[in-house]
Amino acid sequence: MSRYLSAIWKCRYFWLSLVQMDLRNRYRRSVVGMGWSLLNPIAMTTVICLVFPRFMPQIKSVNHYAPMVLVGLCFWNFISSAARLGTKCLIHSERYIRQYPAPMAIYPLRLALGGAFHFLIALAVVLVMRCCLIGFSDLHTFISLVPTVLMIFVLAWSVSLLVGFATAYFPDIEHLADVGLQILFYATPIVYSPSAIQGKLGLLIRLNPLTTFVELLHAPLIHGQFPDASLFATGLLITAGFAGVSMLTVSRFEKKIIFQL
Amino acid sequence: MTSIDLENLNLVFRVRQKQRIPFKDFLVHQMFRKSVNPYMEIRALSNINLSIRQGDRLGIVGHNGAGKSTMLKMLAGIYPPTSGERRVQGEISSLFELSLGFEPEATGWENIAYRGFLQGETPKTLKHKLAEIAEFSELGEFLASPVRHYSSGMLVRLAFSVATAIDPEILLVDEVLAAGDLAFQKKARRRMEEMIDRAHLIVMVSHDLEALTKFCNRAIWLDHGQIRMQGPTQDVVEAYTDAMNGAVPMAKAA
Repeated sequence: MSRYLSAIWKCRYFWLSLVQMDLRNRYRRSVVGMGWSLLNPIAMTTVICLVFPRFMPQIKSVNHYAPMVLVGLCFWNFISSAARLGTKCLIHSERYIRQYPAPMAIYPLRLALGGAFHFLIALAVVLVMRCCLIGFSDLHTFISLVPTVLMIFVLAWSVSLLVGFATAYFPDIEHLADVGLQILFYATPIVYSPSAIQGKLGLLIRLNPLTTFVELLHAPLIHGQFPDASLFATGLLITAGFAGVSMLTVSRFEKKIIFQL
Repeated sequence: MTSIDLENLNLVFRVRQKQRIPFKDFLVHQMFRKSVNPYMEIRALSNINLSIRQGDRLGIVGHNGAGKSTMLKMLAGIYPPTSGERRVQGEISSLFELSLGFEPEATGWENIAYRGFLQGETPKTLKHKLAEIAEFSELGEFLASPVRHYSSGMLVRLAFSVATAIDPEILLVDEVLAAGDLAFQKKARRRMEEMIDRAHLIVMVSHDLEALTKFCNRAIWLDHGQIRMQGPTQDVVEAYTDAMNGAVPMAKAA
């Protein structure tokens, strides 16, 4: 594994320059630059905050609800774009794969890094919103966001890699991912609090691995607390699980994937 | 000390008879019923034994589909051998499929950087080569435009200029001597000669038998994925030419 990571590191100038280009292209397309891509989650949050509190009596304070929805949406956008764009990451990189035997993991890494950059900017907006609406208390708990963001980054990288390899073998994974993501959106506590739904449905939501990461983000940002050690451990376990499956996929299929492109 | 050793090497492409199957069909047909789109095996390289040492300039000849380009890609590590051993000592630089590997939205300058980095350059080493690459490509102010506006000839010139700016240990070359227009081809040939002088070890595929005879001290003749003959370039090229002209029956050429 260390040899593989060092091979990735060896071609860092290549993938870093591609990430730089992706970001430039993404933000160059609009007059307001990165503000435009933040508009979507902010507009969604505004609409949700105007509509949902009318139907959900458990939402007692919109001041807490708004940053909760926004951070959930930003997290969701990061993971869902990693899954959606990840389906094409190897197919679109065929032009490089056919010329240079670079580690395949650099192509989903390119996506994950671009997404992570955008997620960090969105998170900064969430922090500002949180301070404005909830106040400046318990800011020291924000330090827990560092390992959380790192885990989310590894998760996004792994998801991109897995769907990238799967799509190289099965072309319809892209459409299946779209359907799966729609279902997963409602099974992830974004517009509702993780504790709001009980019973069998609540259990299903708790089994969703994304719920853990939403809770890890909510703890400092919404509740002003450090996440529980057990929550951290669950997050680490899930991340390690996804990373492990990705590494297995790479070791088993990396050499053969060229025959599928 | 650079070297390449291939021992009893086989490369089999395992491809589906029709197009790739959707996941839902895979679940239904592959796991529970007999496959309606089974794999077929294409033997691309068979029982290859080859040893190339530092200082060797090896040419590969053969008809279309003989496995020449596949052999280069296998040497480069792009195709994994199905069985047998591939041992390589030294850094490999490849010159093939030059028109691939561009980011269409990026400018010529940016693409020089991407390709350079992929070839192992760093921002520091590339900085010293940028002016020379730009000059050699003769693309001038076009380098500031996105490469999607380039003609295929311009793309090949750009790719060739970047690819040949390296100091190679092991150089794998596939038909790049025909890059660009006639004037550029002359320049490219000179550049290739310089590169061939600098490289420790070269493997070259070309249908230009004259060029192979000039550049290579050894050659192999590939026929349907097998080495049919190996030896001094002149001998191999003559045997291959005779066989192609029908002077020597194919089976007796070896």
